[in-house]
Amino acid sequence: MAEQGAADLGNNNNNKPEASEGTIIKVTVKTPKDKEEIAIAEDASVTQFKEEISKRFKAKQDQLVLIFAGKILKDGDSLSQHGIKDGLTVHLVIKTAHKAADGGSTSASSSTSNQGGNSTTSSPAANPAPTTVPTGSGHTPTQTPNIMSGFGDLASLAGLGMGSANFMELQQQMQRQLMSNPEMLSQIMENPLVQNMMSNPDLMRQMIMANPQMQQLMERNPEISHMLNNPELMRQTMELARNPAMMQEMMRNQDRALSNLESIPGGYNALRRMYTDIQEPMFSAAREQFGNNPFSALGGNSDSGAQPSRTENREPLPNPWGPPNSSNPSESGGGTTGSTSTSGATNPSVSNPLGVNPGSLGNGMFNSPGMQSLLQQISENPQLMQNMLSAPYMRSMMQSLAQNPELASQVMMNNPLFAGNPQLQEQFRSQLPIFLQQMQNPEALSVMTNPRAMQALMQIQQGLQTLQTEAPGLMPSLMTSGIPGVPTGGAVPAENPASSPSSAATNPAQQQLMQQMLQMFAGGGGSGGGNGTSQTPEVRFQTQLDQLNAMGFINREANLQALIATGGDINAAIERLLGSQPS
Amino acid sequence: MQHLKSHPAHGVVVPRSFRLLEELEEGQKGGGDGTVSWGLADDDDMMLTHWNGMIIGPAKTVYEGRIYSLKVDCGHRYPEYPPMVRFVNKINLTGVNSSTGAVDLKSVSALSRWKNSYNIKMVLQELRQHMMMKENSRLSQPPEGQVYSN
Repeated sequence: MAEQGAADLGNNNNNKPEASEGTIIKVTVKTPKDKEEIAIAEDASVTQFKEEISKRFKAKQDQLVLIFAGKILKDGDSLSQHGIKDGLTVHLVIKTAHKAADGGSTSASSSTSNQGGNSTTSSPAANPAPTTVPTGSGHTPTQTPNIMSGFGDLASLAGLGMGSANFMELQQQMQRQLMSNPEMLSQIMENPLVQNMMSNPDLMRQMIMANPQMQQLMERNPEISHMLNNPELMRQTMELARNPAMMQEMMRNQDRALSNLESIPGGYNALRRMYTDIQEPMFSAAREQFGNNPFSALGGNSDSGAQPSRTENREPLPNPWGPPNSSNPSESGGGTTGSTSTSGATNPSVSNPLGVNPGSLGNGMFNSPGMQSLLQQISENPQLMQNMLSAPYMRSMMQSLAQNPELASQVMMNNPLFAGNPQLQEQFRSQLPIFLQQMQNPEALSVMTNPRAMQALMQIQQGLQTLQTEAPGLMPSLMTSGIPGVPTGGAVPAENPASSPSSAATNPAQQQLMQQMLQMFAGGGGSGGGNGTSQTPEVRFQTQLDQLNAMGFINREANLQALIATGGDINAAIERLLGSQPS
Repeated sequence: MQHLKSHPAHGVVVPRSFRLLEELEEGQKGGGDGTVSWGLADDDDMMLTHWNGMIIGPAKTVYEGRIYSLKVDCGHRYPEYPPMVRFVNKINLTGVNSSTGAVDLKSVSALSRWKNSYNIKMVLQELRQHMMMKENSRLSQPPEGQVYSN
């Protein structure tokens, strides 16, 4: 009886394919985000209705949950059985794999955004993430089990990063995101690559020690080096890092032990001393890098002497963003190089004490759409590149890689791009030292920051690709004739956008291209940095020239000379200029 | 069927059945924002007493991803008196009896002082809000699919 008060049924005579028989009714299907009107036969079953819905909402039928008037509609029911008539509204919930119902997400209660990730774990991290990161990223871990898509949300982060044009900030945000989102952390940890890396104590130790700040620390506090040299301890730490649950357990124990210590007479002082001796320098070293404290999540544990294992806990803070910086020189060439780089080793920047290489987390990371867009943005924004390249850890990373070709080659080897082709690996390995040197060359760096150069490189890249497909025979001859001055540092990132879509490309053509790029690089490297682009030094150094002008160096010729001589380094150029002037 | 009540301080009191009919209509039209749903449990229920309710667990809570079914009984003194509400699906939530699923409305702050302007939609929405309270943020939940046995 009540139903008659509700919408009156009009007999629609619309001809719709679904109209097997009976009249068609229009039912509104509503999710919190969306609303669609679906025409369906009046006597249709819920299953049929779901079919229509799955088409319209682009979701699988078995992910759909329909609710009408407080009841869940079961597949075997019919619409009329539930009294669903024309003009009425049915609620839809789309279940994702992780059962994060769309129905509950962000609507209705804006206060959900404040829940943050804290509800599910006891992570002590402060949680600035929800405010700095759009809630889309907050949903990251729940969306799919796939790490890659987790990082796919980097796109939104990248957007943020671009806003500040500051790569460091981006990294910080990433870190914060990571810290506040323990699920992400555990996902990272579960990645077999990470685990592999962590199980190699020598590698870890090497990486940690290579970091100058760590070295300083070690000088001041021999206990730390003692700790590092103790393989047992390293292994224990890595176990810990590998197993976040264990880590939490550890930390809890330590907290308790710490509080016990406090109660011992004189204990508090000892604690304080330990804190100031050990913890602070580490913290501030880290802070220098980031402006925030990446160790805060580990909750002020001091004490390196009494229980060496404790300090270890400060370290295993994987920096998912560290990778673009810490993994690979070609990568540094552009955090852009997705397809090369990744895996295996990482550099131990303080940011990344254990040198967890997020790159290793998944070559997929770089192939994710987020990364792609980031790469694009980076190449479009030379400032960003420069920032990134000038970041201290980047330098240290490159240096250590240069010193340690072994490490670098390991990194390369693990790249799936090369996985299938030992020949290419060999090639790369031999080219490596030259490659690394080139990376050190500021000239090459400045070229890479030149957007026009990058664009040109990409065009070349694309052209080459087309040629390859069109006229494979033509390629080798073209190559050998030497396409002028394409610094590989640039070439490799340029390679990336083209090749990364075909991520695990064991495409022989691709590999050949890589080889040739390398050759060109070697050739380019041999002739010194002067072959960067087809542009004149004047154009290249335009910004620097302007700066010099502004500073009062009006002699353009002299400025240019100085800039060329110093490879674009303004400070050095100024010195030259000043030195040549009569004092 | 029309229960005209002596009117309280303000204006005309809408009779029970009018109210419930309105609520029925709104439920069928998908009132609210899609996170709650309600409707008459039995179409032949002339007294409009027994209602079904549905709450979709809010994101970022321990209730996320769950769909909770409820029974809402509007007694003959509704809306002057609040309805009886109980969960069908098992849930661990403050104010909900862990063996029967009955909801003590007094423990939901927004509903503790019932007004006759409150309705079923509001009850469901406030319960949903209640799920987002800090006090409920760490309660471990029974596996999905379990229901109370009454």
